[in-house]
Amino acid sequence: MAAPLMQVDRISKTFALAGGRTLTAVSDVSFTVEKGSICALLGPSGSGKSTILRMIAGLETLTSGTIRLKGQEIDGPGQDRGMVFQAYTSFDWLSVRKNVEFGMRINGVPARERRERAEHFIGLVGLSKFIDSYPSRLSGGMRQRVAIARSLANAPEVLLMDEPFGALDAETRWQMQELMIEVAEASATTVIVVTHDIEEAIFLADKIEFLSSHPGRLREEIIPDFKPAKRIRNKEQLLELDGFAETERKIMRLMREEGQH
Amino acid sequence: MSRSQPNRRRLLQVRVPVSPLQALVSSIGIWVVFFGGWILATSMGWVNPILVPSPEKVFRSIYVLFADQGFANDVLISVARVLFAFALACVVAVPAGVAMGAFPAIDAVLAPFVSAWRYLPAPSFIPILLMWFGTGEEPKIALLFLGVIFFLITLIADHTKDVRKELIETAMTLGAGRWITVFQVMLPAVLPNILVAMRQMLAVVWTYLVIAEIVASTTGIGAMMMRARRFLHTDQIMAGIIVIGVLGLVFDRLFALLHRRLFPYLQESR
Repeated sequence: MAAPLMQVDRISKTFALAGGRTLTAVSDVSFTVEKGSICALLGPSGSGKSTILRMIAGLETLTSGTIRLKGQEIDGPGQDRGMVFQAYTSFDWLSVRKNVEFGMRINGVPARERRERAEHFIGLVGLSKFIDSYPSRLSGGMRQRVAIARSLANAPEVLLMDEPFGALDAETRWQMQELMIEVAEASATTVIVVTHDIEEAIFLADKIEFLSSHPGRLREEIIPDFKPAKRIRNKEQLLELDGFAETERKIMRLMREEGQH
Repeated sequence: MSRSQPNRRRLLQVRVPVSPLQALVSSIGIWVVFFGGWILATSMGWVNPILVPSPEKVFRSIYVLFADQGFANDVLISVARVLFAFALACVVAVPAGVAMGAFPAIDAVLAPFVSAWRYLPAPSFIPILLMWFGTGEEPKIALLFLGVIFFLITLIADHTKDVRKELIETAMTLGAGRWITVFQVMLPAVLPNILVAMRQMLAVVWTYLVIAEIVASTTGIGAMMMRARRFLHTDQIMAGIIVIGVLGLVFDRLFALLHRRLFPYLQESR
């Protein structure tokens, strides 16, 4: 079997606080992510899941350990690891089209290809009607779709998502989760998503890294193998599957245990 | 006993917008009261007419100043001074402020310097500016420049620091280096606020203009007002004040218009 796309190897992160104290947010975490898979980092608050994602993105330095992408050790942020944040990140002065073209433009993709790819990904997230609108005219869910299209159009090796749907209302959230499955399938993108929503993790992920808190350690790797090989695309189907309730219960127990110390 | 707030209309309501009609009546009303009081005081002889001329006399002298006394020339000179000094200040302040907001290493050098200068009143430099530059245009431009430059830099630096971290990090994870991040993300993100800062600071330039022209000038609106003082022409002094006020208002409106024109996407918000 080929080597995994990403290898996170014994990474730790210690922050220096005021007054000479330190805080260890992430301690000795290792996991791998296969090409084309969706991996969820799940855990209670304080489990360092966002810090891990930020280290993968290169936005945060490692205190120790290594992260390899296609065997290359990562150093700083780059086009190969696109990130979608929870907060809206539309470039308000650019139209939806220009937003999606931004990454390709700065990376020197020729204008024609840029245009075609932008249109393709804007279509994929269902915003073709708004292609020439400014983001300020869009709702929160639509802005997140712009952010996803902008990252994907830039052809990253892996798409990093930091609680991307956390600020959305419940209905928009599950629509976005379903869209995410569709988009990941269509673009064969590898995704690492941080969430504290158990159902979201089970629905999206091929593999769940459950993290414990204070400091963030890898508690358990959960593979929701009750799901069919071909990803299911709507949530009702997930809820009907044998094994869903059991997996959810198991993760809830883990969450509760974490809450107790 | 329940203490609910009934929904009936009161004159003073916390954060309840007024109707367009009430807004119009209110804004005209305050000026009617102002001029009414002024007219009343002068026509009833409550005030010394030499010290407080009637509004009619003031507006007549605005006309006379422009029509017979070449006041337009003074106005143009003053406007030119304001615009030149302000443009100069912007040319320095925009790059400096953005650089401070983008690069902590530059902020660490400039911030202690700039914030110290902010507390030095610009007019206190007049004597030395006169010694350095004589009585030509230079000391006046220098005063206007000194009066706003440090505030302008600080405002722009603060606005640049307020550009959201996620925007910068998004750019970086799309593959942007630091220059692209600064010029194609931070700068466009902060530009609307830079224009707002300019609008605020232009008003301050007018303040220093009058000081500069009163202290050492034979031309400009302020100089005209000082000449008028010598001959007890209070009507002309007030005319000068009104002209400055109107000019200030015009420039403020122009900036508001420019803001709408340059940043249409801010108007599209729902």
